[in-house]
Amino acid sequence: MLLSIEPDGPVPIYQQIRDRIVEAIADGAQPAGSGLPSTRQLAVDLGVNFHTVNKSYDQLRQEGLLRISRKSGAVVQRDAGSGPPDPGWVQDWAGRLRTLLAEAAAQGMPERDIIRYCQVAIAGFAFSAGEGAA
Amino acid sequence: MSANSLAGIVTVAFFGVLLCVTPIITRPTVVFGVRIPGDRAGAPVIRRERRAYYWRTAVIGVCCTVTAVLVSELGPWWPTRVILALELAADLGCLQLARKNIAAVKKTEGWFEGLRQTVATDTSWREDPPRFPVRWLLPALMVIAATVIVGAVRYPGLPARLPAAWASGHHAPKSIVAAFAFVVGQLYVTTLWTGMMLIIYRSRPDIESADAAESTRRYRRFLAAFTRAVLTLMALVNLTLLLATLPRWQVYRLSGLASALPLLPLLAGLVIFAVVAVRVGQGGSRLPRLSPVVNIREARLARIGAGPSVGAGPGFNSPARTDRDDDRFWKAGLFYVNRDDPSVMVSNRFGVGWTFNFGNRIACLIFAGIIAAPAGLAAIMLAAGT
Repeated sequence: MLLSIEPDGPVPIYQQIRDRIVEAIADGAQPAGSGLPSTRQLAVDLGVNFHTVNKSYDQLRQEGLLRISRKSGAVVQRDAGSGPPDPGWVQDWAGRLRTLLAEAAAQGMPERDIIRYCQVAIAGFAFSAGEGAA
Repeated sequence: MSANSLAGIVTVAFFGVLLCVTPIITRPTVVFGVRIPGDRAGAPVIRRERRAYYWRTAVIGVCCTVTAVLVSELGPWWPTRVILALELAADLGCLQLARKNIAAVKKTEGWFEGLRQTVATDTSWREDPPRFPVRWLLPALMVIAATVIVGAVRYPGLPARLPAAWASGHHAPKSIVAAFAFVVGQLYVTTLWTGMMLIIYRSRPDIESADAAESTRRYRRFLAAFTRAVLTLMALVNLTLLLATLPRWQVYRLSGLASALPLLPLLAGLVIFAVVAVRVGQGGSRLPRLSPVVNIREARLARIGAGPSVGAGPGFNSPARTDRDDDRFWKAGLFYVNRDDPSVMVSNRFGVGWTFNFGNRIACLIFAGIIAAPAGLAAIMLAAGT
């Protein structure tokens, strides 16, 4: 998995790490069962405090995407092929998606462009067989 | 001309050439210790400063080598060491001058303004870490073993007073410490360099965020080549110490210029190291591109009929990203001090290799240990009367 962050960007570093890992799971670069580097290793590789990486992993664990144990380290728990998500989670996600799309509409982006951007984003994801943007 | 003077002249000439060509082996995005965006590598100020640096250091190298040859005729060995120190200081001055001029233009023209400054990593580095080539350590260990065996055989027959290890012309009472002083040197060099390489294998790879996957592959090849060059140099340093200690054990006698012969393995090791450095460049920057990168996103975009340019828009991993401008963590362009970075060692900015993160407590302790160890060994030697 290639992971890049903007340390001097406006988004907190732990959030960026979390976002990149979520994207890697969606892309298929980190399928369920695959391991992630330890928090110390990833902190060294990105040149950030290891508590920052710890916070990202903890957030992913709370979201059910990561399983962390002393024996096997951090392992991806869910991916596109793990079945439908929890209905409560979908409701929460739909709310956030609505806000995100509303931002584009409020900025004056035409509906056609919004849909196109959504298509492009989805095109990068590794859906399970029979699904997908096409 | 004595062997010591000859060694001094060769050292002055070697470092003169090495420092002159160092910009060639440094990354194109780190020029004279200044981080620059990739598209600025051909900027007029960089071309001008590079040319000026080559000329200045070449003139310094030639002048220092000629002076070293002339003063070596006077007799004492130390003037060539003074010239070497002056040469290094002058070359360092040239580096600082170039760094200052480039950094000034970079700041005035705002080279990093509007660019996405990123830090990238490839987690495959940790999933499939490179293995330290233990077999390449064997020659150095075999030379130490040979030195110990020869020393053990010769020790009972040695005279009551032995030539001192660190000062020619002086003698010390026979003792294990006095007889095996060079073995201690071999063990120090072998332990230090092996330990450093092991730390480096656990350190952060030097990855360019603009092309992370490719630069990770190049870094793997660079690390493999560099480690083998270092371990070869280490074996040849140990061989030089063995050859230098044999006359002290009365195995053979060398006089005049011939007494410089034990330095030949060291010289060969330095030449091998320099050739490898020039061929691979810092972090593998001089290696050819290994393979075309398959872009899964672009393949999927093609599947839905959208061109790659659509995916390159804002928010879709724009290719306009560049390495983070981290000049503020580099003091004088050479010393890395970053308290927030847990790395013990990071890649050098000028030349090939690594340096300590002086903002890290463990790195400072290791550095202090490296300095303290030879000082402690020297104290033991002095206490033993060598």
